[in-house]
Amino acid sequence: MRLISAAATGLGRLVHWGLTKVLHRNASQLPGRIALALDPQLIAHLRERTGKGSIVVCGTNGKTTTNNVIAASLEASGMRVLCNRAGANMVAGVASALLLSGAADWAVLEADELSTIHILPQLRPTYLVLLNLFRDQLDRAGEIDHVQDTIVAALAASPSTTLVTCGDDPLSMGVAVRAAQAGIRVLTFGMGEDLGLAPDRVPEARFCQACGTELRYEYRSYAQLGKFSCPNCGFAHPELDFVATAVAVDREGVSFDFSRPGEGTRRIHADFGGVYMAYNLLAAAAAASLAGVDAAHFQQALDGYHPANGRLQRFDVDRREVVLNLAKNPTGFNQNLSLLLADDRPKAAFLVVNDNYNDGRDISWIWDVDFERLTGGEGMCRVIAGGHRANDVQVRLKYAGIEARIADSVGEALCQVGDLPAECPLYVLTNYSALWSAKDELESLGEHHG
Amino acid sequence: MGSGRVLRLVHLYPELLNLYGDSGNILVLRRRMEWRGITCEVEEVHTSDHPSFVDADIAFVGGGSDREQRIVCDYLLEVRGELAAFVEDGGVVGAVCGGYQLLGHSYLMGDEEVRGLSLVDLYTDRGTPRLIGNIAVESRISPQPIVGFENHGGRTHLGVGVEPMGKVLHGFGNDGKTGEEGCLYKNVVGTYVHGPLLPKNPGVADYLIARALERRYGAAELEPLDDAAELAANKVMCDRLMAQEPEG
Repeated sequence: MRLISAAATGLGRLVHWGLTKVLHRNASQLPGRIALALDPQLIAHLRERTGKGSIVVCGTNGKTTTNNVIAASLEASGMRVLCNRAGANMVAGVASALLLSGAADWAVLEADELSTIHILPQLRPTYLVLLNLFRDQLDRAGEIDHVQDTIVAALAASPSTTLVTCGDDPLSMGVAVRAAQAGIRVLTFGMGEDLGLAPDRVPEARFCQACGTELRYEYRSYAQLGKFSCPNCGFAHPELDFVATAVAVDREGVSFDFSRPGEGTRRIHADFGGVYMAYNLLAAAAAASLAGVDAAHFQQALDGYHPANGRLQRFDVDRREVVLNLAKNPTGFNQNLSLLLADDRPKAAFLVVNDNYNDGRDISWIWDVDFERLTGGEGMCRVIAGGHRANDVQVRLKYAGIEARIADSVGEALCQVGDLPAECPLYVLTNYSALWSAKDELESLGEHHG
Repeated sequence: MGSGRVLRLVHLYPELLNLYGDSGNILVLRRRMEWRGITCEVEEVHTSDHPSFVDADIAFVGGGSDREQRIVCDYLLEVRGELAAFVEDGGVVGAVCGGYQLLGHSYLMGDEEVRGLSLVDLYTDRGTPRLIGNIAVESRISPQPIVGFENHGGRTHLGVGVEPMGKVLHGFGNDGKTGEEGCLYKNVVGTYVHGPLLPKNPGVADYLIARALERRYGAAELEPLDDAAELAANKVMCDRLMAQEPEG
């Protein structure tokens, strides 16, 4: 390692020590930021620490879970893994994870889509997993076209990387087609069958990425994901390299047959998640199998995987089940509503929307969420609005035909459902910055049960 | 009162212009009519349709990406004459963000000047940076300040005598300089306050409905509605913005 990189690494570690041991602060970003200021090429020099290779995971929804499952499955196979588990996914977070770790066999790193342009050219990962692309934080990230351009440019600057992406997503395939033209090897994953689900009301990407003609769908899984083709040009759902079939999604979790043409089929099961989780696990299984993880170790990792980061975390508060999940954009929210409606018990929901910078300050998207679906059945007992923009959520719900009260905290929301039987669970759906306070509150109020 | 009244709302290209929750505006117009016993017929115009404004009462056009806005502009230029006749006859138009830019003589897509619909005497060029953030506007068409979010690279310049929708209290508005936001021309309202313009600004929604009733039925009395939730959301954001330093 060059002297400057060694010095930057040493300084970053010192900052980490100071923050965590002396100041007892979170240190997922600052060590990397300071080390990068001293040595902007730091990531390129730290890549030598990973003996077998590295995997970067990006995509609008599902990065943290997918990334952590891949890391856990490699560890279950006996590999030493370096990972930014807490989800600090900008360039400073990735640099922090790299400099704080010792030597490892694999680096498994989640990256914000726009940060790929800073990370890929230096890290030159073995695989880039692109999960999906949805509109999210338009005020910060800009329109999806810009996100796509950035990922294509990042791949072009890292020609040895293989792109592993969702063949069901026309927006990800738009990136894949352009990456392939730039000489990048592309592998795809997707559902091998119609899941028979109702489409979302405001679909994205109805138009061909190549020529602008309206796409045709044989079926959709959710949002714009499905078996699509352009009636005008050759842009279409590809022949998949990793396929899920016999997909079962219910309140108990998800399971599917995972197959890679030319190899055997194996059943994968996880006791959490909905349709979107089936896609995340399929992506994780694809990346893990490319990195040499066998079926048994992958399942072993899933069996031991208990999300502790506010993603589908379950708590017990005075015998009431509370389910906490992140919902930060229309697609994520719609998927959460599907999950909630698949729960056949009477239930309540606390919907929390903040508008801090890292949430996106523009919350117009709440009008694209299909809250109307909550009025359909008998089982939805009560809906409560929260967060900095609780009043906006309340108005949105009013126009969906739902009378919602406002609560300032999870504790207050639990008080407001106090008259409902304990068997009635409370779903707490929050966007990004509201997640941590909700999680802290639930951890002090109740018992976490995996 | 209220029985038998019908208003026809033409929603232009919702599959293209829906970038910022624009469907919320249609939902709010529809509900606020229904709550008053007015039947709201929504006609969605898609790319394969030839829109007609002959029986229309309100036309609504939302915001989209540059690419999508360009596609819509090409379609609408084909029916420009009919749309212009609708506007001159007092037809109600709500145009938000990209839709607002289309009202004018031209706008820029990259460095290319794109011909607009010339329904209102205004034009749009570009500037840096993009003007992004929460906005509050004082306007004669709403009893409360109009609050919402703006996100636009375009700088819109009103022709001599064109009335702005209002005066910027917080945020940027048409060009970030004049302190003016949006336009009012006959019964056309154009604004950069994007996406869910109407939910938190029930006065604007009712202004559009009242103008349409006036034109169709000659009278525009609107029964008051319980707007406690809407006005609370408006006030929370207004208070927050008034307590902040000005943007920019």
